[in-house]
Amino acid sequence: MTTGSRSQPGRGTVSRRGVLRAGGGLVAATALPTGLAACSGGGSGGTVRVVGVADEQQPITEMIAAYRRSHPGTAFSTSFAPTDQVQTVVRTQLAGGNAPDVHVLYPGSGSAMSMVELAKAGLLAHLDDQAWTRTIPKGFDAAYRWKGRTYLYSAGSSVIGAIYNKKVFADAGVKPPTTWSGLLDVCGTLKARGVVPIALGAQTPWVTQLISYALVPNAVYAKDPSFDDDMAAGRATFAGSGWADALGKYQDLQKRGYFNDHPDGTTYEQQTSMVATGKAAMAVQVSAVLAAFRQAAKSPDDLGMFPFPGGDDPANLWIPAGVVVGLGVSARARNAAKGRQFIEFLGRQENINAWATAVSAVPFTRDSTTRLDPALSDFLPIIDADRAVPFMDQRWPNAEVQPAHFAAVQDLLAGKTDVNGALEQMDTAYGKSS
Amino acid sequence: MKAPRTAGPRLGRRDPAVPPWMFVVPALVVYAAVVLYPSVAGVVYAFTDWSGIGSFSFVGLANFHTLLHDDRALASITNTLLLTVAVVVAQNGLGLLLALGVNAEIRSRNLLRVVFFAPAVVSPVMVAFLWKYVYNPDNGSGLNGVLGAVGLGGLRQDWLGNPSLTLWSVAAMVVWQYAGYSMVVFLAGLQGVPPELHEAARIDGAGTWQRFRYVTWPLLAPALTVNLMLSTIGGLKLFDQVYAATNGGPGTSSETLSTVLYKEAFVYGKFGYSTAVALVLALFVAAVSLLQLRYLRAREVAA
Repeated sequence: MTTGSRSQPGRGTVSRRGVLRAGGGLVAATALPTGLAACSGGGSGGTVRVVGVADEQQPITEMIAAYRRSHPGTAFSTSFAPTDQVQTVVRTQLAGGNAPDVHVLYPGSGSAMSMVELAKAGLLAHLDDQAWTRTIPKGFDAAYRWKGRTYLYSAGSSVIGAIYNKKVFADAGVKPPTTWSGLLDVCGTLKARGVVPIALGAQTPWVTQLISYALVPNAVYAKDPSFDDDMAAGRATFAGSGWADALGKYQDLQKRGYFNDHPDGTTYEQQTSMVATGKAAMAVQVSAVLAAFRQAAKSPDDLGMFPFPGGDDPANLWIPAGVVVGLGVSARARNAAKGRQFIEFLGRQENINAWATAVSAVPFTRDSTTRLDPALSDFLPIIDADRAVPFMDQRWPNAEVQPAHFAAVQDLLAGKTDVNGALEQMDTAYGKSS
Repeated sequence: MKAPRTAGPRLGRRDPAVPPWMFVVPALVVYAAVVLYPSVAGVVYAFTDWSGIGSFSFVGLANFHTLLHDDRALASITNTLLLTVAVVVAQNGLGLLLALGVNAEIRSRNLLRVVFFAPAVVSPVMVAFLWKYVYNPDNGSGLNGVLGAVGLGGLRQDWLGNPSLTLWSVAAMVVWQYAGYSMVVFLAGLQGVPPELHEAARIDGAGTWQRFRYVTWPLLAPALTVNLMLSTIGGLKLFDQVYAATNGGPGTSSETLSTVLYKEAFVYGKFGYSTAVALVLALFVAAVSLLQLRYLRAREVAA
């Protein structure tokens, strides 16, 4: 099945503004940015405009406060909103030539606001002249760089694992498992005690992907580290790979009754509450939401996190560690110099540490001053042993594979499809034009 | 004594120097600039491969060809039509019943009118979030909790998580929100029915049902036209409640044409294709509305 549209060879490309002018739309072409500026919170007169997603609000607010202590003359205007809303607004502003100076940017490719997508369109300023870019590990190139140039600032990686309620585990007499069979035993014990072993809020689309992502590193990348390159070259498919094993295990957890009833009707907020209140023992989640889980619990110490074991060899466990959402500088920023200065400030080790701490991430570069969230201590040896792989979507070629994955998992949980059908949906989306 | 004639213009006399339509021009200019022009200019993108950012190429009818072979978009058309039929029938049926109820001589009728109309003024997104709590799949919460409490535990469902039910759960949410709106339109129609007609029918021996069938119902035709038109257009364009409550899921079971075009533009970055879908939707809504209007107007005349 084909979809979308392709450029036709031999035809020249046209700029949006050119079309508006050709159509007598000069008024619209000049009025559009003004109209958009009206809903973006302004930012003229030397004010640096920053637009971020809600997940970034705490670190950005803290960093701006710290920056203004040493740069009292720099004014900032900030706005934050959920991912889909920011994506809609910022893309519209980018199209109208009125983008904020510094804006949310997703690592790698695979989303409409990803670094590769915007860099390809010439909408990002590269940051190669900043010292911190030289400390980015080579393995993170695909997330931070496009064609050898750095466009993304991100403090580091968040991991996916099981956030668990320590008290529930202790009451059931179980410990965090280190193997897949151990996990099944623990879940069986918890279920027998009337506790939901794994809370799953699959009505919230992004939650659907987390268990797949937790299992795929062992099922796919441990055996075939070049799987992404094979996919890109057309030598591999989801349906014919370890993805089938991972989704099979996902389905097995459901068949054994180790999820809450009606996962497709349960939201992320309900999932959080279930673990925080002890109604459920654990939830497979990204470390960035640890703060939200802790907030919902009676005491933050009630919760811990362990690597979700996708295989049966604890010494060879692979995990997903994805570069967290960050910031980019618009190529057409009105205050490009001030925006870049702010990013350079964020690149100092103490600020990388502070941002990473705020979102429970592992900084991309560490020194003796780095203090990690204690909940992440079991993950660090695995990351340092190079057995962590980026979140799978960061290497996907277009923005359709991830939503196809969400839908496929929801269909799988609803019994509307099987593992093969789910993976075929993803293969179809992968084959579409970017 | 006759009053002296004044030299000023007399009432009822038109001054050809200032034609009446001139008064509409300022509003028309603003409307054209902010609605008509962008709408027409936007059509251009339906024939391009624009991603929403950067440059683009013209691709002729490729987007429309893609739409004809896009299983997800085609399935969403079925969902949209099912939702529209469900909403139009239930919203207007319930609206009519409510209007008949609050048109009766009861002391609390003004309060009831306000209560029934109130949901119509709440943001659709807020309504969706509210109903997500109502539809909580947990047996002890929301609607399932109420069903359990009144001995109807067997009817408890995963309202938004069961692909076979989701569409109807969303339809119920929309009906709850807008039935009061239909009620107000029907109420205006009911209050336009001359009481003498009812009295004459009563003298002729007509019962309650006959008076409704042969007196009230024919005279409600204009109100019915308005309600059917508005609810049909609203149903075909339904977006907010679906996006906020289910995001088109589980899977793609509750996708409507509006959620598909939104995702194509802002999630997948295929603005050109999305504009083509939007254009098809606009033409579809216009065609259905015109057919409906012609039929209903003819029915009004016949009534």
